[in-house]
Amino acid sequence: MPPNPCASCKTNRALILRPKDHSKLCKGCFIDVFEAEIHHTITANKLFYRGEKIAIGASGGKDSTVLASVLKTLNERYDYGVELILLSIDEGIKGYRDDSLETVKRNAQQYNMPLTILGYDELYGWTMDQVVEQVGKKGNCTYCGVFRRQALDRGAARLGVKHVVTGHNADDVAETVLMNLLRADLPRLSRTTSIVTSTPSASLDPNSHTNIKRSKPLKYAYEKEIVLYAHHKNLDYFSTECIYSPEAFRGSARALIKNLERIRPSAILDVVRSGEDMAKLVPGSDEGCGGACGNAVPAGEEEEGGCGSANGRTAGGDMANMEQHLAQNEAAAENGLEVEITSRHINDTHDSSVPLPAGKKGKKNKGPSSTQRKTTKQVMGQCKRCGYLSSQDICKACVLLEGLNKNRPKNKIEVGYEDGQETEKELNSVTNGLNKLHVEGG
Amino acid sequence: MPGKNLPEIANEPCRRCKENSAALVVRTEPLCRDCFVKYVHTKAIKRLESFRVRNAAPDHHRKILLALSSGVSSAALLHILDHHLKTQKTKTGRTGFALSVVFVGAPDVNFQAEELLAKARDHYPDHEYASLPLYDIFCLVSDDASLLALIRPLGAAPDLPPAEKLAQLINSLTSATARADVISTIRTRLIVEHAKSIGCEGILWGDSTTKLAEKTLAETAKGRGFSLPWQVADGESPFGITFHYPLRDVLKKELVSYVKLAEPSLASIVHASSVPTQASMSSKNTTIDDLMKQYFESVEENFPSIVSNVVRTTSKLEAASVSASDPYCDLCNMPVPAGRFGIHGWGGDQKDGVDGCNKEGLDLCYGCTRSIPQLAIDTNGNP
Repeated sequence: MPPNPCASCKTNRALILRPKDHSKLCKGCFIDVFEAEIHHTITANKLFYRGEKIAIGASGGKDSTVLASVLKTLNERYDYGVELILLSIDEGIKGYRDDSLETVKRNAQQYNMPLTILGYDELYGWTMDQVVEQVGKKGNCTYCGVFRRQALDRGAARLGVKHVVTGHNADDVAETVLMNLLRADLPRLSRTTSIVTSTPSASLDPNSHTNIKRSKPLKYAYEKEIVLYAHHKNLDYFSTECIYSPEAFRGSARALIKNLERIRPSAILDVVRSGEDMAKLVPGSDEGCGGACGNAVPAGEEEEGGCGSANGRTAGGDMANMEQHLAQNEAAAENGLEVEITSRHINDTHDSSVPLPAGKKGKKNKGPSSTQRKTTKQVMGQCKRCGYLSSQDICKACVLLEGLNKNRPKNKIEVGYEDGQETEKELNSVTNGLNKLHVEGG
Repeated sequence: MPGKNLPEIANEPCRRCKENSAALVVRTEPLCRDCFVKYVHTKAIKRLESFRVRNAAPDHHRKILLALSSGVSSAALLHILDHHLKTQKTKTGRTGFALSVVFVGAPDVNFQAEELLAKARDHYPDHEYASLPLYDIFCLVSDDASLLALIRPLGAAPDLPPAEKLAQLINSLTSATARADVISTIRTRLIVEHAKSIGCEGILWGDSTTKLAEKTLAETAKGRGFSLPWQVADGESPFGITFHYPLRDVLKKELVSYVKLAEPSLASIVHASSVPTQASMSSKNTTIDDLMKQYFESVEENFPSIVSNVVRTTSKLEAASVSASDPYCDLCNMPVPAGRFGIHGWGGDQKDGVDGCNKEGLDLCYGCTRSIPQLAIDTNGNP
């Protein structure tokens, strides 16, 4: 017997301290248990069906590489009977994606899977380099993030694939749960804990990108174990750290998750469990079972937020902004009636909740704000332009594209509309709202 | 920064009364001592509307329990309530409720708890006081079969003195996080049982905004998301008694200032060590509660409204509907919807076989299962 026998097979020497529960395992047993857990996640949640064609959202990073490798292994071992393809998105940033796309190309050969690479230019008519040229370096992450969220769905629709799997792991989900608690965003908290999200089949066109199912088979897999698996299986992946620091909310949540894991290894899983349980307690949530029974929940236009780099140019930027916004609302509620109406409110049309003069006791309307206003379930509709799932009339990608295209008149505009009218109408409705307010307030 | 005494505001007038000079800045407003005290009182009393004099029948005296710790917040709350009751008495000749105070000594606390309580009694003699050791849980819980089941596997004899039983239970826990978790769970249960036994209709907890935010994230991290609404919201608790958090709109740092500025000083009923926290996060003794405490104390410094927003929003989570037939956790006593006990049998549990989740016939919720060690049933060979 070796001095330190594996806790599972009891014969080989334990070489791995398993991050999830600190059990001591040999290499073979670790790989077995890691794969068995993913298999369990897939079967328990009935993620796939025989004959299904599944696109793996592949970035060349560790998560999607491990996902592709494990799915290939399991598909062969347990005969899922699914067809796996790789789908990569090229944001069109010179020099940034080159290495990772090369990795994906090698993966395609290693795993013998067909690969499709779609560029932002093909999907939106703009590469990120062009966007940066147009809007400058500041704020371009917003574009990238919003475009990326839809890109996989749009890409899958082009390939006639109805199911996209992504490499989101347990750390990502736990981080999102804590972040949404910090941001006090209950609707998103309930949405993002589900293992399956899908856009409702409102469109009759079977090739529409509004009919794509999304799932995260690695939802319960620890990031550290994914790295270990990739290492011990000698997987070919491209590791790159994002050069931008994440937004303050996500950054805080990430730091908390890392510290929690240090204090109690099961904590990441425990946060995920709490998130699933709390999803059932969100007011207006009609999904009786949360993510637990694998019910499909509509995917929002803003899901897990992809790369953590979005918007985060100034440290604490999003937190500071929200703090300021909330503090103003508090002050307004505290002082009762006087609310200064600035043009900012009018521009900010999605935030139509101009602070209402609080009633006598001001109990209910304390600090109305865009962040806490929507405790009732967001009504998910479809973007009037592209048909993508959106809580607004026009989805964020189309709004951003509108802004971009406006300044590029020679370019053909993909969706026809008259923008002037739209803005005017919105302005009017806000002004009307303000008038009404005035009457009530007086 | 808000809540701190800054030299540069010394000459600024109070923004509310515009007469006195400001003593501190509260959420960007410079306030004088009097206006600050009024600010804290108003925030707390507003939360107690249901206990107004006019809601009290003349022949029936309502009684509520205040859970006093040695910390800043509950001491401030005692002071505020005492003042409030005196004002009610002066104005109307009677009070809306009678206050009973309970102090629970913790096993790891070695300062003079009795002394602290005696001082509180001296300062505020109009109320009823009780001090309970934590191990009283083994005397007060009527059907302590479940609690006994927790320590039976440890070889504890049923006739062991309660203090020994508690010591055995605490000593069996394998991490600082688990010990802190089990102690606070037992403390809550003990206070609930005490409140019921002396006929209180509700319990007032001293938790500040900051503390409630800490609790929200800590309980989430401990896998107790399912019971969060019962732990942070005002109103009916699953224990057949109401919970109130009158200080839910006051930040911790504001209460620290309040304790310093109140007259007479509250310092004598606050245990000093409970003021600052600077635990090292790498320490093996750091708990999840400590981590969240440290985090929110730093957030409240620059982002107080974000802390309030977390609490306000979390309080909107709707507690699961509980039916009488729903089973309860043997440790925290929270209802467990659909009897989802243990850490097995959900998506994140990848072991197909259920091994020992129901050990010794114990029904523990997810969170409590994480804290109570797996004992001998652990198949991984961990000690």
